[in-house]
Amino acid sequence: MLEIRNVYKAFGNNQVLNGVDLKVNKGDIIVILGPSGSGKTTFLRTINFLEKADKGTIDFDDIHTELQSASHKTINKIRKKTAFVFQNYNLFANKTALENVTEGLIVARKVPKEEAIKRAKDALDKVGLSERYDYYPSQLSGGQQQRVGIARAIAVNPDVLLFDEPTSALDPELIGEVLSVMKKLAKEGATMIVVTHEMSFAQEVASRVVFMDGGVVVEEGTAKQIFTAPKEKRTEQFLRRIVRDYDYVI
Amino acid sequence: MRPFHPAYIFEVLPQLFPYIGVTIAVTFGTVLGGGLIGLLLAAAKIKRGRIAKILVNTYVYLTRCIPSIVMLFIVYYGLPELLMVFGIDINNVHKAFFVITTFSILFAANMSEVFRSAYEAVDKGQREAAISIGMSEFQAFRRILLPQCTVYAIPNFANALVNLIKEGSLAYTIGLIDIMGKGQLIIGLNMGSYSLETYLSLFLLYWILTIISEKSLKLLEKRLLQGKKILHTAG
Amino acid sequence: MTINTAFMIQTFLDVLAGIPVTLELTFITLLVSFPIAFFMALQKLEKKKFSGKIVSGYVSFIRGTPVVLQILFLYSLLPTILNYFIKEVLNLDVDIFALNPIIYAFVVFSLNTIAVLTEVFRSALLTVEHGQLEAALAIGLNKRQAYARIIIPQAVVFALPNLCNATINLMKSTSLAFMMTVKDITAIAKVNAAYGYNYIEAYLVISVLYIILCTVVQFGYGAVERYFSLYKRISTN
Repeated sequence: MLEIRNVYKAFGNNQVLNGVDLKVNKGDIIVILGPSGSGKTTFLRTINFLEKADKGTIDFDDIHTELQSASHKTINKIRKKTAFVFQNYNLFANKTALENVTEGLIVARKVPKEEAIKRAKDALDKVGLSERYDYYPSQLSGGQQQRVGIARAIAVNPDVLLFDEPTSALDPELIGEVLSVMKKLAKEGATMIVVTHEMSFAQEVASRVVFMDGGVVVEEGTAKQIFTAPKEKRTEQFLRRIVRDYDYVI
Repeated sequence: MRPFHPAYIFEVLPQLFPYIGVTIAVTFGTVLGGGLIGLLLAAAKIKRGRIAKILVNTYVYLTRCIPSIVMLFIVYYGLPELLMVFGIDINNVHKAFFVITTFSILFAANMSEVFRSAYEAVDKGQREAAISIGMSEFQAFRRILLPQCTVYAIPNFANALVNLIKEGSLAYTIGLIDIMGKGQLIIGLNMGSYSLETYLSLFLLYWILTIISEKSLKLLEKRLLQGKKILHTAG
Repeated sequence: MTINTAFMIQTFLDVLAGIPVTLELTFITLLVSFPIAFFMALQKLEKKKFSGKIVSGYVSFIRGTPVVLQILFLYSLLPTILNYFIKEVLNLDVDIFALNPIIYAFVVFSLNTIAVLTEVFRSALLTVEHGQLEAALAIGLNKRQAYARIIIPQAVVFALPNLCNATINLMKSTSLAFMMTVKDITAIAKVNAAYGYNYIEAYLVISVLYIILCTVVQFGYGAVERYFSLYKRISTN
């Protein structure tokens, strides 16, 4: 369904991505792991053209384009097939929870207002916020804000959901509510690419785990393969460190 | 169309140069006078009670609403008569006195806000930490709070200073001979010809003055930030 | 020191006639400057562009030189240029020296206010987090929609306090319009004062008037701010 190949990206002299490939099938839950600075977030952002790659190609259903020279029209088409959940939520501060969700439907996709509101309410209900339609972002907790962010993403029925460290800005006690929403979506068959440090999420729901370091994919496999029998030394070192940190949190 | 001689712009400049000193002196005097009053106002607002706060706020509010030129005329015509009531004759005092008085009144209001917001920008914990390691209140202020306040105050001070230099040009309306006043004299001597050229050289001088003030303060801010590594964690 | 109260009352009544002129100068200037300044702020945000550099230079020049100088310069330049243009280019027989001088005042104050508002808008646009634009693009809005629906409504709220300041400063600057023989509040007071050397009284009267006008402007902005910043006010509760 989605195939990204050979992605390169540099910020000034800093080469962040060194030829990353990723293939996504419908219903895949792909978790991207890696130390900070490994390029995982940048890679995710190039898929949605929030970051313009220096080189690379993308095949999305029948769309084929070079990442560095995609036309406005193509970019828009791909953005409408994807949805992005941000690390710091990025809810529109001047819109209520409901308006945050309807915005992409009414303005970008020309869905009639009545229908948009209905779909938005369904999405908010799904993430457990049926009581918070008319709240502004500043009135919601971090966990609630991120759930609105997820509702905003699923309301447009995207082919792929992109999650950029959706829980890393949250207080520990609020992480659970967001993760359980994501797990629910995964069980319902959504296609997701998730950059995260939440090992429990990766172990429980990932159909494939991708380990990135130094701007390349070091290793990929099923969650079981990666966690119990990593082939690469770098993967093993990373996991040992992060799992220990993870134990500390508990 | 009237004739225009660009070369005259640079002919006038040397005639204006000697008066830059007057412009700078008046500005400097105002910064001192207004700065001092502003500091007192800010201190009153921070440390004293409710009434002091209301009085300072009223002062700031009223001066903010009155145009500089109106204030200048009130001081120029009103102050001698007011002081005469107390038997003090200032009718022969230099015009610069009235200019500095007027702009000090206005500048003080600006500066009181600059000082206050800078003071409030510094985290309260800084003072507490200084005192907890045994510094006196004064030491804490002098060694910890003041250096940080200064950095916070510089951008707003730069703004206020540039405004002061610009508004100060109104001094010619009561007859002070600074660069603006000299420019007007030159135009008068030329019976109004070359007025455009003269104004352009004045533009040039004022623009240079304000840019130098702004850039040097920005440089100072940068040096304070880098050299002492103050506020580095804030960014 | 004697205060002539009868004169003050008379002057107060006389300067009332100048209020519409002062308000006109302030608000028509704002209206003209608003869209131009907004467009220029967008240019200035793109620093690499040539147009951005031109805008930066313009803003620096206008904000770095005294208003009074801008008035004197343009007031001696504009009439001759206009005269030349009408007589020689359009071949019309119009006596431009009979034109209402308020036109020149509008030009001068607008040129000045455009520069001031450009800075106000630029800093307000910068205050809106970059993530807001990203999120808008990510859900499929194009750049224009993102600006119109997400960025600008938030920027307006950030800009309001500075807009209020700019309006008050502009209103104060219009007190210099007498230099272009425009009969605003200050001009009328000046004429009255010169007649019997009652300067103090005249200027005290208009000080009060400026304070009143300034208060009205601030109340106006306060109301607008409350209307616009619903989402912000809630967060501070």
